[in-house]
Amino acid sequence: MKTRRFVLSKLILVLLLVGLFLLSGCATGPKFTKIDVIPEDKAVVYIYRPASPIGAAVSYQVIANGTHIMPMVNGGYFVYYAKLGENEFSAATETLSSVTLDVKPGQNYYIKSSVGVGMFVGRPRFTIVPADVGEKEIADCKCQGERNKK
Amino acid sequence: MSRQFLSWAISISFFFLCGCATNMKIDPQVTQIDNIDFRIKGKIVYEGNKEYLPRILAEEPASNAGLTFEYTYDVIYGKHDVPSAVALFNPLTIAGFPTGENTATIIGKLDVMKGGEVIKSYNATCILEKTQNLFSERTFTDLRRQGLLAVRNNIEVQIYLDKNYLEKLRAPE
Repeated sequence: MKTRRFVLSKLILVLLLVGLFLLSGCATGPKFTKIDVIPEDKAVVYIYRPASPIGAAVSYQVIANGTHIMPMVNGGYFVYYAKLGENEFSAATETLSSVTLDVKPGQNYYIKSSVGVGMFVGRPRFTIVPADVGEKEIADCKCQGERNKK
Repeated sequence: MSRQFLSWAISISFFFLCGCATNMKIDPQVTQIDNIDFRIKGKIVYEGNKEYLPRILAEEPASNAGLTFEYTYDVIYGKHDVPSAVALFNPLTIAGFPTGENTATIIGKLDVMKGGEVIKSYNATCILEKTQNLFSERTFTDLRRQGLLAVRNNIEVQIYLDKNYLEKLRAPE
């Protein structure tokens, strides 16, 4: 009887630790709302990461045109006001992932990020997705903030 | 024994190297011509990075011949990932088994216009496919750049092969 209790308490502890580990990478913040007013000389880029149990604890810094802008956490998104023309977005853990957008004024763009399998740590993956796909997938993500508005 | 080992080593190396190459298809296929010295002058309408504009075009805003060149391109990305859970528990992943594939399709178009009408269009489409594995990854930025340069070079050759026709267009009527 004592042995069974001991095993059960250990099992609960392990489950709690696993739960805590998974939740540690989860984003908190307000739900997705689309930006209504876009400055004339800019476009809006939504960079989001749908919540997934695979690689949940891995986070990485997103770099826009060579400048670190924000860490990307599981289930989060943020808004980047991009200058017109070419804009490069990247992130790196053990390898680099990057995409380049040709930004036109007043447009909305969606970049989906995820974590892929790596040798020692999960690797960031970026993909440019069509607006209709992006809008659906970002709906459950939590806002982490805005960057480069001015 | 050593021969068998050698053949195994070569096979495995070949397997790895197959996954490292980027597969590129371009249409139309033209013979590559290096160091094209021909330039066609006219007004250029283009908003993107100058590096991707066909170098054969020379800006001449006040062109007597009234030629206008409008260059546009479009980039379409594709991604086919092996599900992470599968890749994570697949023992072959560590041996270079594919974890996904990135594709980029670049479509370039150059319109030659005179008097507001399109006289001729030059098109080129480049499809790039890159298999990803643990040891070889290329970013979409790399694929896009490679494709845009290939499309630029292709259109340059098409214009060069058409240079007599374009020179006639430029001649004042």
